[in-house]
Amino acid sequence: MAQFDAVDALLATARKEAELPPAQQRRMLREALNLSRAQVARALGVSPSTVGGWETGRDPGGEVRDQYAYFLKGAQAKLAALDADADGAAEGTAAGTGTCAEAVPAAAQDDTARQASSGREAGDVEDVESLAAPRPCVLCGRGARHQVAGYPQHLDPAECATPAPPAPAPAPAVQEAPTDRPSRRAPAHRSAGNVKTVKSAGRVQTSADVPDLIGDAVAAALTEHRGDVEAATAALVKRAIPDAMTLLDTTRKGGRYDIIAHPGIPDILRKQTTRGADQIWEARPKWTRPHLPAGRHEVASLDINGAYLSALKTHLPIGRLEHSEGNVHDRRRAGVHLITPPAWDHDTFLPHPLGNRDEPGPLWVTEPTLRLLLRLAGPKYRLCEPPVIHESFTSGATESLLEKFRIILKDARDTAIAEDDEVTGEYVKAMYSKFVSTMGESTYNRDLNRPDWMHLIRSQAFANLWTKAYKAHDEGLMVVSVQGTDELHVIGDWRHVFAEGRGVTEVKVKDTYTAGSPPADGDTNE
Amino acid sequence: MPERTIDFGKYRARGIKGHEAVARQLDSYLHYITTPVTSPRGLLARLHYLTRTDHARQAARDAGLTVTDDTVNAWLQGKRRPLKKNLAAIEDTYRTVRRHNVARYLLSRLNREGRGTRVEIHPLDQSLVNRPLQRVVEFRHLNIRHWDRIIEAWAAGNDRALDDAWIEKIVDLGSQWGQYEYVTNVGFAA
Repeated sequence: MAQFDAVDALLATARKEAELPPAQQRRMLREALNLSRAQVARALGVSPSTVGGWETGRDPGGEVRDQYAYFLKGAQAKLAALDADADGAAEGTAAGTGTCAEAVPAAAQDDTARQASSGREAGDVEDVESLAAPRPCVLCGRGARHQVAGYPQHLDPAECATPAPPAPAPAPAVQEAPTDRPSRRAPAHRSAGNVKTVKSAGRVQTSADVPDLIGDAVAAALTEHRGDVEAATAALVKRAIPDAMTLLDTTRKGGRYDIIAHPGIPDILRKQTTRGADQIWEARPKWTRPHLPAGRHEVASLDINGAYLSALKTHLPIGRLEHSEGNVHDRRRAGVHLITPPAWDHDTFLPHPLGNRDEPGPLWVTEPTLRLLLRLAGPKYRLCEPPVIHESFTSGATESLLEKFRIILKDARDTAIAEDDEVTGEYVKAMYSKFVSTMGESTYNRDLNRPDWMHLIRSQAFANLWTKAYKAHDEGLMVVSVQGTDELHVIGDWRHVFAEGRGVTEVKVKDTYTAGSPPADGDTNE
Repeated sequence: MPERTIDFGKYRARGIKGHEAVARQLDSYLHYITTPVTSPRGLLARLHYLTRTDHARQAARDAGLTVTDDTVNAWLQGKRRPLKKNLAAIEDTYRTVRRHNVARYLLSRLNREGRGTRVEIHPLDQSLVNRPLQRVVEFRHLNIRHWDRIIEAWAAGNDRALDDAWIEKIVDLGSQWGQYEYVTNVGFAA
């Protein structure tokens, strides 16, 4: 018979598993109550990462599931009550979720949670005490004659459902199953949809698990300067270089390749004097169309947004540059090359991809320039002969070395623009521009000594600009001038070709002006 | 495998001793006067550095500038030009004194309050070695926390002591540290 007892006991414990709200709501609920994952974990006797797991789709089991369900229900009720308080309208209080007793604040749950939940299963509440004098209910604020775990509250939802409203006109309680109602207290961008995941260090994590270095730094600076935007911006710009290096280190965690910061550099990459330049030709464009057709023209001066930021995506040599000779180009390697440039016959309508170099003869160019020249010599363009490579300093290359770094900065930039957040915008701009300009032999950033990368990234920006100029030309616009890193002057309806905006794929108008001489017959009406 | 290379370069591997690379990197953080001592401008700059105060003069004397004050003054006023031998002495003295003066600050930057500095070790160049004799020697890095002996030896210009101090550190690379006795470059930030 003892065996039957055991079966009976087993059957008595078996029951339906507690219902849990969907995963994305769990985190919302917790965050809306300003509870950290660690606090909840401590109350439930599990680790914070376990709670994190539950919030991203895993489900707890067994006893702890009941506790978690109890916490979530309580959180919902609490939130609903807080909402009602905040609005002054009696909208969606704890009704429908049971009694107020479930709305014990989670922080108080540490040791009473287990008792209370098991008590509820049995149909009664153990921690309930009667009060001699009514005290304000934690949920509705009206006098209550009972307290649960030290919190005075109503036991009957009917009493609690119509809280004393601070506003004069009491609205009727809306009783539509608030169980799944997304809280209006949750931040707007998290109120619906799934939690965004990112891949970090080889693992899929929610974006909350990855530290937001930029956002934290901006918030800290604003707090430190008590909301003084200018002072905070100045302070952030000042620390942009070390912060960029920290961000770079963070983005390389779990990466396939180490950042090699101090490879010995070949002599061609060394500055010849302290303030002088090295021998690399970066192919900075500086071109103006020699002749304009007769008549007056509306010229739009376009500005490429975040040119250096986009140029972080380029084939970068990983390790030490190794010397090689001969007219061969290995697409899996990148570096600098000594080439004899091809002749360029299209100077009247398209800039030379090498910029305006006066000196004839072979020159050291970087990988992006060489690839651009090779592409232009290819079957698709046929604009010039292929360049002749004499010698090269190259290393195995990858495009993904700075990719995460670039994406984080780009996202921060996009968010800053969308939210009109000038501090973050300036900070991000300082981060990427100073990162590029000091990654060579600079005393401002000794942690990274890669003049080769600096040249490659700059050249990539110039090559990108050249490609944009070619695109404009190809689509029928008249390219008037290509200057520096990000300046493109065109005649024609450029809005067909380029999107206007502030994103990195868009262009913004810097200026519009008229150029050219009026026709001799005086036909102009401009 | 012997830990110290016996006949380096026999199979046409190329590289320099690790401690030389370290000294080179440390020197690169000093920003010596770049104008050569042979030009009047470079000579004056060095002499000014060595004679700014009595303390500096004493340091120069201790570092081996064995000429009288009158001679130095004559050089400073341009009445006389130093002999070739003395030009070399001035250059040596200048470097020694400069190293000595900067060592304190470099040391604190490298030790970083006990956190140390990450050091990259780029292995020797085997591109000229016959293919069957080439060995896999990888890029390595390690964190050095105590730079005191390295900096002390470097400031004193004592190559032997610097070599010993450096080897004592790279032993931490493990049993293969001998492969890194000769390197192409040692990189670190200070």
